[in-house]
Amino acid sequence: MYRYDEFDAAFVQERTAQFSDQVARRLTGDLNEDQFRPLRLMNGLYLQLHAYMLRIAVPYGTMNARQMRMLAHIARTYDRGYGHFTTRQNIQFNWPKLRDVPRILADLASVEMHSIQTSGNCIRNITTDQFAGAAADEIIDPRPVAEILRQWSSLHPEFSYLPRKFKIAMTGATADRAAIRFHDIGLQATTSKLGEIGWQVWVGGGLGRTPMIGKMISGFVPHEHLLAYLESILRVYNRYGRRDNKFKARIKILVHEEGLDSIRQQVEEEFAHLKGGVLTLPQEELDRITRYFAQPDYELVNQTTVDVAREKIVNPPYGRWLERNLNAHRQPGYVSVTISLKPVGGAPGDATDTQMDAIADLAERYSANELRVSHEQNIVLPHVKVTDLPAVYAALVDQGLADGNAGQITDIICCPGLDFCALANARSIPLAQELTRKFQSPERQAEIGDLKIKISGCINACGHHHVGHIGILGVEKKGTELYQITVGGDATENAAIGDILGHGFVADAVPDAIERLVDTYIARRTSADEPFITAYRRLGKEPFKEALYGNA
Amino acid sequence: MEILTGNELMSGATVYLDRDGRWVEELQQARIFGNEDLEAREAALAATRKTLRIVSLEVETVTLRDGIIYPDRIRERIRAEGPTAPRFDRQHLDEDGHVSI
Repeated sequence: MYRYDEFDAAFVQERTAQFSDQVARRLTGDLNEDQFRPLRLMNGLYLQLHAYMLRIAVPYGTMNARQMRMLAHIARTYDRGYGHFTTRQNIQFNWPKLRDVPRILADLASVEMHSIQTSGNCIRNITTDQFAGAAADEIIDPRPVAEILRQWSSLHPEFSYLPRKFKIAMTGATADRAAIRFHDIGLQATTSKLGEIGWQVWVGGGLGRTPMIGKMISGFVPHEHLLAYLESILRVYNRYGRRDNKFKARIKILVHEEGLDSIRQQVEEEFAHLKGGVLTLPQEELDRITRYFAQPDYELVNQTTVDVAREKIVNPPYGRWLERNLNAHRQPGYVSVTISLKPVGGAPGDATDTQMDAIADLAERYSANELRVSHEQNIVLPHVKVTDLPAVYAALVDQGLADGNAGQITDIICCPGLDFCALANARSIPLAQELTRKFQSPERQAEIGDLKIKISGCINACGHHHVGHIGILGVEKKGTELYQITVGGDATENAAIGDILGHGFVADAVPDAIERLVDTYIARRTSADEPFITAYRRLGKEPFKEALYGNA
Repeated sequence: MEILTGNELMSGATVYLDRDGRWVEELQQARIFGNEDLEAREAALAATRKTLRIVSLEVETVTLRDGIIYPDRIRERIRAEGPTAPRFDRQHLDEDGHVSI
């Protein structure tokens, strides 16, 4: 993992000291709220419905055990004993008191963490594939480049006041597990005709009020010119992005209104000036950063596979967990383990301080001291020996973290919604809880197979509802929460935005409506091997519309 | 009918202006401003802003039924009670979190 150099450490400590002073001045009345609000937001401190909320960055979703233990400490000491992992691979605490925030930031700094640029119109936390550096299908570990982008984008003087927030996601694998086509910039590792590894660059993707799939602006940018190319995109956006209308200020609107060809031409003009200049990334610097992400010292093991079919008979819950929560690893005899934060009746993405400590212990003991946060609001142990799986599973059972439901209907992405969020129009967590109860039967989930439900409590789409195989959007109409259902969204390399099928439902009617969609899929799929999203693409929206609204 | 609500600076707790000019946790103690109270409402807002201690100051419409105050918006009902899921007690004021105008 990357370790702070003296520059990183100094700037985080300076910012902590600055913000401590700003909090002190706010508490004595030397700063009013209009003056203080932008300062607290620059440090990830929001005011939500019931209390402050502190959002802490987990750079490219990578953490070690010590950092996770610090999050547990913060949850226990300054909050209410839990934290909420988000779709941007961050963690949020919902109940900190203002006077405690400087101490929290100092505690974070002691483990090389911070909350800088987790809010505001700047470049936010760069997200990646949760299996980065471990996945068998990876072309390259994206984290060294992600770290370089983190350094480039942190306190970048030119890009601290962009027209709107700016999100970058990247993947080093062929499969897109980071939803890169739904970010302002998406980067996908690729190989040139000459065998050189570089980056496909996608631009103008996003969710929210106006969902758009990113467009490929360049098919290949080598590592050495990536910073210059991204700076060129940001410059064009910073110059022409609309500052007159918040709802049209994201780069997706600029790309859509101006046209990709025009944007590409302007970016290329800018790139011609920047290419070969100070932003050129020397190979030795890339190598230096890459060494921080060296592969662990793997053991050569005899057992490289696990007999899932056998375990499903001997110990069905363990067998189901093996079947659903493991991801193929680049190293024979190892797997990546998804720790589900989606228990039946739970709030998706929440983990208690005790659970965080236990996960840290597991990382230290069984996963080369590494952890990942997934954008699907789960935690990953990236490097686990196959022979250690029984012990890892047993420890997870003890903590209530052993649900074998990764990628299934109960593995729901869900925003905090109106229970916490000042922007939300409707609650989302109670609906997620109800759906996990309705579909809790392991046999039923296995019958349904891969199905992603994503729930947002407002049109800002933090719960990624547009790209759920089934998406649910909460709205408020005349004092009642209504939920609009979309079908056919996909956050992967087969990117698609879900179709709205008709009017919304009251909360109580949603679980049955979802069940009708599921039953329609099962009745019409070609076989149990045809996933929901494939069946939807083949069948079209009509049978699903009929399932929801009848054929009247 | 309207009430004044906001969040107390130190704790972030949801608070309401009561009849005695104190910012309190309990929705049912909130002072209700009718159409004829516009001047008093504006004066209360101005005095509150001067304290620098109440953030996200808002005027909320409510309905009074059998002497019980019901906020018109779902959002305000949840603010008054705390999150419904997971169910948590609302944030409370610290000892030094009491504000008056």
